[in-house]
Amino acid sequence: MNFLFFVALVQCLLISALRLLDNFVKISQVRKFIWITIFLIFLGGIFLKGCGSDIEKSILENLLPQEIDGWKAKRMDKVYNQETIFDYIDGAGEVYRSYNFRRLLVRRYSKKGKPEIVADLFDMATSRDAYGVFTHDLEGEDAEIGQGSTYKGGLLSFWKDRFFVSLYAEEETEEAREAVFALGRKVASSIKNKGEKPEIISLFPQDKLDKKSIRYFHNHMILNYHFFVADENILLLDQESEVAMGTYREKNEKINLLIIRYLEAKKASEAYKNFTDIFLPDALESGLVQTEDSKWTATKLKNEFIIIIFNALSDSYAKKIIESVERKMENRKTVDKRDKQ
Amino acid sequence: MKKKVLTRRDFLRVTAVTPFAGMVVLKGKPGQEIKAETKAKVVLIRDKNALVSFKKPNPDVIQRMLDDGITKLLGEKDPVKAWKKLVRPSDIVGIKSNVWSYIPTTREVEQALKRRIMDTGVLEENIGIDDRGVRGNQIFEKATVLINARPARTHHWSGMGGCIKNYIMFVPSPPAYHGDSCADLATIWKDYNLKEKTKLNILLMLTPLFHGIGPHHYSKKYVWEYNGILVGQDPVAVDATGVRVLQAKRRQFFGEERPLQPPAKHIFLADTKHHLGVSHPDKIELIKLGWKEGILI
Repeated sequence: MNFLFFVALVQCLLISALRLLDNFVKISQVRKFIWITIFLIFLGGIFLKGCGSDIEKSILENLLPQEIDGWKAKRMDKVYNQETIFDYIDGAGEVYRSYNFRRLLVRRYSKKGKPEIVADLFDMATSRDAYGVFTHDLEGEDAEIGQGSTYKGGLLSFWKDRFFVSLYAEEETEEAREAVFALGRKVASSIKNKGEKPEIISLFPQDKLDKKSIRYFHNHMILNYHFFVADENILLLDQESEVAMGTYREKNEKINLLIIRYLEAKKASEAYKNFTDIFLPDALESGLVQTEDSKWTATKLKNEFIIIIFNALSDSYAKKIIESVERKMENRKTVDKRDKQ
Repeated sequence: MKKKVLTRRDFLRVTAVTPFAGMVVLKGKPGQEIKAETKAKVVLIRDKNALVSFKKPNPDVIQRMLDDGITKLLGEKDPVKAWKKLVRPSDIVGIKSNVWSYIPTTREVEQALKRRIMDTGVLEENIGIDDRGVRGNQIFEKATVLINARPARTHHWSGMGGCIKNYIMFVPSPPAYHGDSCADLATIWKDYNLKEKTKLNILLMLTPLFHGIGPHHYSKKYVWEYNGILVGQDPVAVDATGVRVLQAKRRQFFGEERPLQPPAKHIFLADTKHHLGVSHPDKIELIKLGWKEGILI
């Protein structure tokens, strides 16, 4: 229908444009052809963009069922993008923007006398970012849905392929909980593909790693949300950088490992210099310092990567972890390949 | 002069991080002494019967709580006389509310405030109640007095949603203030000429949210009936007291020290950096009225 309307519209506009040109402008047939071609490309662009949006919306709509356990979808879904997300969720909108989300579809389900269920389906564009936004909040029990999930307080969240899904019962009753889980399983089965986790995650040494502490993100705002480093972006992080953060437990202490991958080695080198100048100006040897709480911070630049360990209980432990990450880097089969999705 | 970057190590220099967020809460920016400004008065009023049901405050009890709070705050026996210290009959008054669906300011609170403002002689047509529409609202654009009333809750991006943050709707682009966990929200009060106009800050702690989850940062599991209202003229002191209640509840609920994530640094920078008010408990005279059970602070 859209297409037929578009063809008719173009025909009308084309005829009008030709008449206008003939009547008012004395130009050659060649120029006339060029102007009309530009005009059509412009219109086509608008049309295709509109179609693209509709198709993307339709993909999201089809992943959510119309009914689950007697809860029926309310009449109108709502769709949000990077600009309109704050109309729906205020501060938390920054989180999804930080992960480059493309589109959010919201569908509410109701059942008479029961709490409403809100389904938020995020198209994150890549599985890396779907995984990443999932790691932003890992509190809760594993619900074994999708490629990673948590459930707590009426909220089920999971990721699969390039999608992050949040299903929330406005009041947690046994029936609502079952419906939320049933809805989760249904949505997960509707998403046919599986996505890859970011390759950088595989660089964590596994010994004493708290697996529920792993976060994946891009920018300075999210870094500071989880672990305050500095009020300024001294690691020169941006939407192109990949950051993996994990916590190790040693003698009841938390040791934080940060692995950052920049788009280019040159950028990594600049960031390393900036970080060491500001954070470690008193380092006794390159990239190693005992901080004011008697713990150790160590850092290492390796190609496009920076590895940083905070709060190590000894300098030897800090070095050991860094060496372990370096070994994993060397052992990678695809050293220079970024996981393209 | 180049701006000094504040790093994690600056905090470590001041204290051995016990806990890190606590340092942010109590000390402010390292190297800056806490200025001995005027002690701010904050009144905490609680009533066991403040709520009819979870989202439905009892209007009569709310009116009495607000009356008690403002009379104590301003040292008057009669609530109308107390209000007359804040509002003149010729004033145009905007009541800045909050419509967040899970825990709104509520009509009962709005109407209790409006009633007393009208009692001072302000015409009804000169009183506006709004949240997201304050920009473009004729009353708010002409307002000579603002009354700031909203519920307390943890906030995904700023640590806590309180009185300081409630004014973000006065700016054309709220995301412009999202940097560094909304650290500089207090600048709104000066940039938009709101500090002088605001005569009263009311932080509702009837059903506060002490922990948030998911995109909506809400679960009924993490709200409780505290049945309290904080009233003060200093928005920083009011918010800082609210944070103490939320922190205490988190400690009680989780059985361990669980600082707000992210820390509500905007409240404490509102004191140490922007000098909007005071945040340190030593600089706040906290008066507690009413129901004491489960008061937490």
